[in-house]
Amino acid sequence: MDSREEVELFRTAKDLINQLSVVLRTSHIHNPNNIAVTTVIDKLVPMINHLVGSERMIVLELRGEFFYINDFRIRYSLEYLLNFDFLVREFRKRELGSLVFKGKITPEDIKKFAKAFVASTFSEKAFETIEDMTSEINNVSVERLKKIVEDDSLEPRKMIKKTYFNAVSFTRGVINKIKSGEKVNIKKAKRVVETMVDQILEQEQLLLGMTAIKDYDEYTYYHSVNVSILSIALAQRLGMNRKLLTELGMVALFHDIGKMDIPYDILNKPTNFTPEEWDIIKKHPVRGVRTLLKLKKLDALTIRSAIVAFEHHLNFDHTGYPRVRKNVELDFFTRIVSLADQYDAMTSSRVYSRIPMSPDKALSIMMERAGSQLDPLLFKFFINMVGVFPIGTMVMLNTRELGLVYESNQLFPDRPRVMIITDNKGNRTESRVIDLAEKNVEDRYLRSIIKTMDPNKYKINLAEYLL
Amino acid sequence: MLNDEELKKVKDIVQSFLKAKKILRMYPENNPVYINTLEDNFGKFKDFFYYKEELRLQIRQNEVLYDSEQVYYSPEKDDNLALFFFKDGLREITFKKGLSYEEMEDFLKIISLDFSRDVLEDDVVTLFWEKDFQNIEYVVDEIMLADDEDYDSQNLAALEEQETGQDDLSRAYQDAFKEGADVGDISIVPLTDKDLQLLLKELEKDSLNKAGKLTDILFEMVYLCETREDLEDLVGFFGDSLAFAIGRGDISDASALLLRVTEMLQDRKLTDEAKKYLQKVVPHAGSEAVVTLLGEVLDSGPEIEEKVIEEFVGLLDKNAIVPFMKVLGELKSMNARKTVIEALIHLGSRDIVTLAKGLNDSRWYVVRNIIYILRKIGDKRAVDYLLRTVRHGDIRVKKEVIRALGELGGAGVLQTLRECLDDPDGPVRSVALRALGNVRSEAAKRILLNKILDKNFNDRDFDEKKEYFEVLSRWKDDEIYGFLTGALKKKTFFRRAKNYENRACAAYCLGLMGNPDALPLLQKFRNDGNKMLKEFVYTAIKRIEYGQ
Repeated sequence: MDSREEVELFRTAKDLINQLSVVLRTSHIHNPNNIAVTTVIDKLVPMINHLVGSERMIVLELRGEFFYINDFRIRYSLEYLLNFDFLVREFRKRELGSLVFKGKITPEDIKKFAKAFVASTFSEKAFETIEDMTSEINNVSVERLKKIVEDDSLEPRKMIKKTYFNAVSFTRGVINKIKSGEKVNIKKAKRVVETMVDQILEQEQLLLGMTAIKDYDEYTYYHSVNVSILSIALAQRLGMNRKLLTELGMVALFHDIGKMDIPYDILNKPTNFTPEEWDIIKKHPVRGVRTLLKLKKLDALTIRSAIVAFEHHLNFDHTGYPRVRKNVELDFFTRIVSLADQYDAMTSSRVYSRIPMSPDKALSIMMERAGSQLDPLLFKFFINMVGVFPIGTMVMLNTRELGLVYESNQLFPDRPRVMIITDNKGNRTESRVIDLAEKNVEDRYLRSIIKTMDPNKYKINLAEYLL
Repeated sequence: MLNDEELKKVKDIVQSFLKAKKILRMYPENNPVYINTLEDNFGKFKDFFYYKEELRLQIRQNEVLYDSEQVYYSPEKDDNLALFFFKDGLREITFKKGLSYEEMEDFLKIISLDFSRDVLEDDVVTLFWEKDFQNIEYVVDEIMLADDEDYDSQNLAALEEQETGQDDLSRAYQDAFKEGADVGDISIVPLTDKDLQLLLKELEKDSLNKAGKLTDILFEMVYLCETREDLEDLVGFFGDSLAFAIGRGDISDASALLLRVTEMLQDRKLTDEAKKYLQKVVPHAGSEAVVTLLGEVLDSGPEIEEKVIEEFVGLLDKNAIVPFMKVLGELKSMNARKTVIEALIHLGSRDIVTLAKGLNDSRWYVVRNIIYILRKIGDKRAVDYLLRTVRHGDIRVKKEVIRALGELGGAGVLQTLRECLDDPDGPVRSVALRALGNVRSEAAKRILLNKILDKNFNDRDFDEKKEYFEVLSRWKDDEIYGFLTGALKKKTFFRRAKNYENRACAAYCLGLMGNPDALPLLQKFRNDGNKMLKEFVYTAIKRIEYGQ
């Protein structure tokens, strides 16, 4: 197969998933014989048969957050986001892992499958229902969603840690090199960011988890890496391609480079800043531009980095600093980086305010700022990404257990996975991860969050639990 | 178990990489050698994948292994394929059975790049990554990316050893039951189609060129500068922005920047110190670096509108003259040369002395172009410099300078032009003749008449004589009319053929002058026995009658 055919197939695959989602959505509303359903089915069938024609068999599989067709991950474009999300959610609900087309199919086959799918919505044993009803269809079968074994995550977690600390170490090296006037290796920077991009695409939650641990000594370097990770993760949800994600990651990594010249005593001052000290702090965007433009020959990346370094404290409504004479719309990357920057700064313990905030508190403040200081549209995407209870949030459950949010849940943002850290009497317990989306036989949630708390206030070492 | 044939096939594939690395660099993509090399490589892969699902190569510093067997070895520092991959952290490359021709070509194109050049800002791993190959996988050792190899273990150990105390946990537990805010008031607002539409618009907008935005920021920074060093830096950044815009062929952006600088220099709110530095930006735009870049763009890029270049050049300082002259000698395309010549015509008028220095250039074509430029500028001060160039060894230069002298005119050029009428080279004499015609002064006329009346004039070729009369026709006065009618009527006993030539030329010239008074005389010779005279008289009559 030449690459043109391959691109064509990918496009068909993407359209196929989208159309399948449309069919199932419509089937939830109308009877399968309704023209609204039959019309969308008629559009889907040739797509499937076209792929079957070239591939002989199609396995549409849900793995994690993504769909794969015959082992190829199908990347969706933004216009398909809602339909893809719907399908992920509905497959998950039914524990449906794979849908297999073993040969050419007819509209009648799809109608039967849609019926099975709808019928399983109200079934206690959703997968069994759908499996049973689908067994009557020629050339179509289903497989159960493969459970992710907890131990499997050990290796990725190790890799994520390595990536994260490599990035921090690299950032520290870059800043030291710039300070001493040495040449900086941009090729290396790109490699660092590319690795982060890859891992965000594959293991977003793990890398986001790393940004939640704020108990590091060298705030500046960790902050740069965290902002880069949060920016990439947000942009991924905005449908940016890998190349743009890398560009954004690089830009974000260097957004605070202007702080390099701020005396250590000011940056790490344990009390609030004096007006004079604030004046020095406020100069870092301009200094950042100077440093970046001196770093290497001017190119598209340097230009973008300089723009973001200059604008990241300007605010969406231009009320920030540095003061400018002409207000121009902030760069799109700036608006992403500003969100990531504010969130990480507010939830860190070594920032100007001196008072670290719990992630949920930071989010509620950011929510107030959306539309004034922050871009409201991007904030909407941001909050959908980090969830109501971002990773690292300390929570009291209705079972009187204390826990830390370990992984957010994209489908049910208020039901993340939580690591239990005390039993229902407040005693330290062997930590285990539970899923708040889990229900009992009466279809009631086993656990729910009743209160959020600030882990910093109680000196909870997040690293001990999250790393 | 690995057999000899399989090993040989893998060795062949690895060797074919080396060959491709050289060929792809040397030949253009449509060259048969290039195409054959790719087809040969692909054939080798196809052959291998007939039996095998994948080809996994392990990379060591100086060797490449396949299934623990060495398939390549080189101890060299240069041209070492293993080291080439190894130094960027590649430790394993796997080609899968589905490998397409395009993927293989992309792979080979990447490894054929010259990574020693500074312009390449990506290493081989980044380029592989950007391609997002479906059938080529690779393993990379990322440790080289860290500044400190043990950074992760040191930090992890430090972080994890600080175990949370039971007291802290108990305190948190107890506080959880105290009065206070319960679950935060944040709610997730689901994303809607409208959000996505808005986002799409934002993303579309985002693809616009960012260089203009950086320029805006630099202008803001002028007002935020606190020290001379800041201002000095800023001038450099403006220079870089200009070079960036020019390098991309965005000449309008460069003009806009210069225009803003000139506007800003009028701003009363700007300090004199800032203005002093800002003034340096315009000369920078005309520096050798920037002008050379412009030359490269003109030479290789798509055609740029004339008025766009004109606007840019109009904003430059005269310091750009020397760089433009330098570039002029290096350009390959005719259009680019034309554009630079136009630029020099504009700029040179501000400093003839500097422009005239170009006349000393060792390349004849540059000298010729500079003469042309001086001629087009039309500044009579250029005559002194041009006169020194008349003795130039190259006839093409000589002709151009004579032409220029003729156009610039003035008493100073006559002596030189008169001398050139006797130049051993016919084309030089011809140009000199026309140049004198262009001067159009009485003195020039006198020189021509004297030359025609000279006893040696008869010996010149007919064409040259005809040219003399043709030039003479530009003076449409009585003296010339009388001279021509006299010449037409003139009869001789000796060297009659030469005399007929002169008479024919006189008739031709009368025709060019278009004076109807000459008709009766011309009619007289309409049926002359000399064929040449008859023909020229006939043509002259027609020309006068029909006013052609």
